[in-house]
Amino acid sequence: MTPYKWFYSHLRKHARYIIIGLTIIPIASALAVINPKVSGSIVDLVMKQGNVSLLPKLILLLVATTLLRSGIRFVMIMSMEKASQGTLYSLRDSVYKRLLLQDFNFYNKNRTGDLMSRQTGDMDAIRHFIAHVIYATVESIFVFCFALIMMFTVNIKMAFMMILVLPFTALTTYFQVKNIKPAFIKSRLMFSRLNSFAQENISGNRVVKAFAKEDYEIEKFDKENDSFKEVQLEGAVIWAKYIPVFEFLSNVLTFLLMLPGAIMVINEQMTLGNMVTMSGYLWMLTTPLRTAGWLINDIQRFMTSLEKIFSTISHEPDIKKPSNAIVKKHLKGSVRFEHVTYNADDEDILNDVSFEIKPGQTVGIIGATGAGKSTLMNLLCRFYDASEGNVYVDDINVKEMDLYSLRQNIGMAMQDVFLFSDTIEGNIAYGRPDCSFEEVEWAAKVANADSFIKAMPEGYDTIVGERGMGLSGGQKQRISLARALLTDPAIIILDDTTSAVDMETETRIQEELTRLQDKKTVFIIAHRISSIKDADVILVLDNGRIVEKGTHEELIQKRGYYDTVFRHQYGEFDRLKNSSEFREYIKEQQKEALNYG
Amino acid sequence: MARNKYDIDETLEAGFDFGQLKRLAKYVGPYKKDMIKAIVIMLVSSALSMLTPRFFMTIMDDYIPNKNITGIVFLSLLTMVIAIFICVSLKVKIILTNRVGQNVIHALRRDLFVHLQELPFSYYDDRPHGKIQVRVVNYVNNLSDLLSNGIVNTITDLCSLLFIIVFMLTINVKLALVCMCGIPILAVLIWTVKKKQRRAWQIESNKQSNLNAYIAESLNGIRVTQSFVREETNQNIFNQLSSDYKSAWMNAVRYNMMLSPIVDTISVLTTSMIYVLGINWMLGGEGNITAGVLIAFTGYISRFWNPITTLASFYNSLLTSISYLERIFETIDEPVTVKDREDAVDMPPIQGEVEFKEVDFAYDDGIKRLDKVSFKVKKGESYAIVGPTGAGKTTIINLLSRFYNISSGEITIDGIDINGVTIRSLRKQMGVMLQDSFIFSGSIMDNIRYGNREASDEEVIVAAKTVCAHDFIMEMEQGYDTQVNERGSRLSQGQRQLISFARALLANPKILILDEATSSIDTETEMMLQEGLLKLLKGRTSFIIAHRLSTIKNADCILYIDQGQIKEMGNHDELMEKKGEYYNLYLSQYSFLAS
Repeated sequence: MTPYKWFYSHLRKHARYIIIGLTIIPIASALAVINPKVSGSIVDLVMKQGNVSLLPKLILLLVATTLLRSGIRFVMIMSMEKASQGTLYSLRDSVYKRLLLQDFNFYNKNRTGDLMSRQTGDMDAIRHFIAHVIYATVESIFVFCFALIMMFTVNIKMAFMMILVLPFTALTTYFQVKNIKPAFIKSRLMFSRLNSFAQENISGNRVVKAFAKEDYEIEKFDKENDSFKEVQLEGAVIWAKYIPVFEFLSNVLTFLLMLPGAIMVINEQMTLGNMVTMSGYLWMLTTPLRTAGWLINDIQRFMTSLEKIFSTISHEPDIKKPSNAIVKKHLKGSVRFEHVTYNADDEDILNDVSFEIKPGQTVGIIGATGAGKSTLMNLLCRFYDASEGNVYVDDINVKEMDLYSLRQNIGMAMQDVFLFSDTIEGNIAYGRPDCSFEEVEWAAKVANADSFIKAMPEGYDTIVGERGMGLSGGQKQRISLARALLTDPAIIILDDTTSAVDMETETRIQEELTRLQDKKTVFIIAHRISSIKDADVILVLDNGRIVEKGTHEELIQKRGYYDTVFRHQYGEFDRLKNSSEFREYIKEQQKEALNYG
Repeated sequence: MARNKYDIDETLEAGFDFGQLKRLAKYVGPYKKDMIKAIVIMLVSSALSMLTPRFFMTIMDDYIPNKNITGIVFLSLLTMVIAIFICVSLKVKIILTNRVGQNVIHALRRDLFVHLQELPFSYYDDRPHGKIQVRVVNYVNNLSDLLSNGIVNTITDLCSLLFIIVFMLTINVKLALVCMCGIPILAVLIWTVKKKQRRAWQIESNKQSNLNAYIAESLNGIRVTQSFVREETNQNIFNQLSSDYKSAWMNAVRYNMMLSPIVDTISVLTTSMIYVLGINWMLGGEGNITAGVLIAFTGYISRFWNPITTLASFYNSLLTSISYLERIFETIDEPVTVKDREDAVDMPPIQGEVEFKEVDFAYDDGIKRLDKVSFKVKKGESYAIVGPTGAGKTTIINLLSRFYNISSGEITIDGIDINGVTIRSLRKQMGVMLQDSFIFSGSIMDNIRYGNREASDEEVIVAAKTVCAHDFIMEMEQGYDTQVNERGSRLSQGQRQLISFARALLANPKILILDEATSSIDTETEMMLQEGLLKLLKGRTSFIIAHRLSTIKNADCILYIDQGQIKEMGNHDELMEKKGEYYNLYLSQYSFLAS
């Protein structure tokens, strides 16, 4: 597939509008020829010869052709607009679809601002091309050829002479295309960079302000803004070289008719009448020639943008739905990793990881920062594919499973909570947009979010800012947890979901989770021992390997990494547990729990 | 204004008036000379280009019948000389107009960006970021053509129009008036359509902005979308927005396209009137109209309507661009709520004494977030802030950096009211590590150095070592030169926190604020980190928000916050003694062990 085939496949759907538009062009052009003739007749017949009775008819003809011509021109332009908007809609749809399919690796490499440029600035170049450039080009070519043919019927010699400019036109076109393309490529690049810079500055506005780095940001922005301007001006200098050449060539045509033409008349190789007629057609040759330079610019701009868009979408995602995908509506939730190794950029992230989890079990994962905990979960959801080894869910290799049915069965509350600028209800219902309010409320209650949401002036209808701006870290985490719970998945992944939540709330959340009726397989990634202590299995990860595996008690016995962490966090407990304060506290707690129950 | 989301059109607070065009003219002002140059050149060259048809006439009427070959050669060569002049002036015009256009949008974009840097958090919290972005980049770009070619062509056309009107008036006043009577009709029609047309373009810019916002969010939230298998729903929303944009465009563009048939109709009707009236007057011998006058006059009619057509299309693009322009100016005019007082002075080097005196705070929604918060921190002390989520912990430290204005009360540093000092001088002396650690695309080195641009590589490395980030950075293939991006996905959340921690340290702040700085960091790393940190905190005032109480036990003072109020204040031992909220919180960490 080339960019042009891809473009054509979308344009074709709106071909009828283009055909309507293009059919109208010759008619409109032909009508354009009638008007000067009618005006001429009025001058000659009515004014000079005094044939006044013809006037009403001629005027009627004049008005009728003008109205007809501008009427069908309107139809033509609107058809081209329709074709352009229709194609654009379909291109946007296809690009968006493609972006949704791209895997994490793609997004790790491409900046948001760059991808946005494809959908905005580059699309606009395509819009202009279909709506304007196509018909302008066809019209120019048509008018030019028509004028040439007319000239041939008038005087062959003269017409041949006129054709002489064509090779020069072709040459200029060739050089313009060659030299302008790099300028446009650069221009698109700078546009992307400017876009990316603005995008990051806006997203990172908190950091900018916290470090009082406004001046620095402005300085960096100036650089991007300057180079964007420079590149635009560089481009202008290039086309300022070629566009006047076309202007000059069009004047050469005038010159040809003036000097050799007049001499031919004097030598009686052509009549004076012929020369008059030819001078009437001359504008039909020069006007297209004058616009040629601009059109070439527009076409090059279009080609650059199209290629740029295509290069983005033609990237094949590594992770795709397999061809004979196994579709499973409801998974039971067993998980098995078999000698899984994952490396990215020559760096081992996971190394020969194996474990097996039965449906309904709770798994705790603990380990140093960057040990590979999140990667483990990303492999389970097949956001990445293992470099070696296999991941099985319900004894089915995830690579053979339908991607959607796999992910639908996994509810993930991610570490880096991303909320959309939508209502809280909309955010919680993200995975199930059509669910009832009661269900949303239920999920929020389980995640211990209901009370703080209700305390907001607009409750569940409160719109949260992009990335959940305005909410505290713990509040965002709880909304994200509610969002994951609502999909009622077979497997729940809580990736550091309660790190910003206070202890008491966390305890309540855990109680709620255990109370959930049907048992789900739960993965909890955490740093606090309290979050994972009750898990059926605890995996300790270090440097991409599972170094310890077992229950809390077993791992404490082992006196390894887990035990060290435990003692660091709760070393004081030994001293505390026998103190009267603590015993009193626990008694209070139990009493409260009884009352609560 | 309520918070905006992708599918809510933004309302326009201020309507458009010609004052805004005047404002735009100020941007063009510095390039007046270039503009005038371009206009003069274009006027001369269009006047010269009008000579060519005259040469043709002379050649055909005079030189050919008289076989005046010298004359023919002379005029032809003159045509070529004129052609060369036209070419050169075209080249100059292209360069000049582009220079003006690009410089103006460059300046406009800069003003917009600079103002965006001044705008407070709340501005960014209240709308999707894609909507801000579309203004900085796309809207501004849309103006370039209007500002460059648009203005030059309009003025040249206006001149040639005046020229032709004068010509017509000298030939025959009556006929000229007939011809011009089309103009008021056109003006009235344009005026009638204008309101609808403006509205249509405003809607178009709204829909474009909505679409843009949605694309931006879709890209940033792609992980969530894929993990929740929301692709289909999002595709439908996207297509809905895309189709809204399409219809808005078609609706708006229709008004623009209608202009040309309107002009055509009026022009053909006035032309017909001239023929009919002119011939009648000629036959009646009225007003000195002869056949010659009439013929000459008809020659000018088409020239009269050409510039009007281009003027009308300029008007069209003006209306289109104005809907972008008003958005740009609206942003530039957005009031900066958190700004330096007029008599603000630079904050002198901070010693580190911080005092909150009966501080009240509410966001725009009017709900009180902080209620009479008072406390006093001595130089070099470390304060920990604990309490349930949403209690107002982050709010307290946000106020200290003056990210928001307090409602009442006073915050002083070294006895100086922070409202009376410049914001930048204040923030430059504080190191804040925010809850969400934003990573800029660039190298890891650049990201850490963001805290202090003057820092040497060695200093960056020292900061990284202090926060225990050095080891994992070195494990990466390209070490500190490893490229990371906004989503920072090559880095784990904990690693991102360590990097932004290093960034805060590198700023060498007098007051260090750590908001959940270590929430995603494992205990081992955290313990190592704390050793380094203890050294570092010596002599600095620090505020620490954390849920893991091991982090804060050693603080000089602990503030227990709930519902915007300080409930308890004291060091660990004191608060434990008190057996209040903190005591419960502390013991609750262990309660699970007792069961």
